[in-house]
Amino acid sequence: MQAFERELLTLLPRLRRFARALARDAADADDLTQVALERALKGRDSWQPGTKLDAWMMRIMRNCWIDEVRSRTRRAQTFAPEEAGQSVGSDADRDIELQAEMRDVDRAMNALPPEQREAVALVLVEGLAYREAADLLDIPIGTLTSRLTRGRQALAQMLEAA
Amino acid sequence: MNDMDDARLMAYLDGELAPAERTEVEQALAGDPELRSRLDAQGRLRERLAAHYGPVAEEEVPERFRQMLGGSTDNVVDLADARERRRRPLWQTAAALAATLVIGFFVGRLVTVESGPVALRGAEMVASGGLAEALDTQLASAPSPDAGARIGVTFARTDGSLCRTFEGPALAGLACRADSGWQIVMTTAREGAEAGEYRQAGSTNALVLQTAQDLMAGEPLDAEAERRARDSGWRPIPRAR
Repeated sequence: MQAFERELLTLLPRLRRFARALARDAADADDLTQVALERALKGRDSWQPGTKLDAWMMRIMRNCWIDEVRSRTRRAQTFAPEEAGQSVGSDADRDIELQAEMRDVDRAMNALPPEQREAVALVLVEGLAYREAADLLDIPIGTLTSRLTRGRQALAQMLEAA
Repeated sequence: MNDMDDARLMAYLDGELAPAERTEVEQALAGDPELRSRLDAQGRLRERLAAHYGPVAEEEVPERFRQMLGGSTDNVVDLADARERRRRPLWQTAAALAATLVIGFFVGRLVTVESGPVALRGAEMVASGGLAEALDTQLASAPSPDAGARIGVTFARTDGSLCRTFEGPALAGLACRADSGWQIVMTTAREGAEAGEYRQAGSTNALVLQTAQDLMAGEPLDAEAERRARDSGWRPIPRAR
């Protein structure tokens, strides 16, 4: 095993946690981990020794996740008219159900827009500094903090609504 | 309450505020139960996320991932591998050395310039020119745009002497008041001086703040105490305060 793989191996527990915070559930998270690892192994030449492997790897994982979210959104839009039709008449029931589900952390995270969710995952779950998270996402630090703030406000509201 | 308040509160919770800002938030919290309860709610959210996702990193890593990384090259020591192993520590040493040299170069060059911010007095490095003036007169609460440096936080060391962090055009650092003037305890090339490159998060400024944190006895001075300290000529603060 080479140094590159060895380092990735030691990062794996953290990467799986990050994936878990991004993906819908545990199964999706490990799929995401696998896709990200494949991409990393294929693109290993783009990693510069001496720079942080964890930041490089997390960026790859985040990009894989965004690709997946986008293609899922496209699929959802294709079927949207049908789904909208099915839910007519049961709005009240659905709201109550939704609220009950929101108590769970997974559900609450799932309800966040992707850009808020990744900010929360990087800073609150992975413990990155604002600067590191903003660099990783290629956004200004002010954009990061406003997404982070809105994401946390929404999460607190959903999780505290008992 | 507005986003700005929440953003600060969360930055406080995340340890992303400078000491002076921390003090401000803590003062606001002391007199505002509503603010306190919002902070508590965010603290609970943080704990809940940690409790939910933390255990994932403790789980056994699935075998399929190990295999992906172990793979066919297992136990094959190739040249590139060996070379890489030898090279990396050297690389890091070189980078660290280079950083030190940059700082040394800055300071070395500045001390030879009469009006530079740092001068040598005997074996001591003291602030001079615009930096000395800024340290003498500037208040963090009322910064002047023309000043030779921006003052961050003012605090007392355990011996009671007063120290201030500063950020000038080229240097950031920390100076403490002594009989000979403002002794430079540490300086570093200012953050943001080299934009573009991937920078280690907040490394320079964090270094100054870390040093301040290490030297600080108690809390940083608030605006009122800072003004009083200036007006009394930066006399050491008696320990039992």
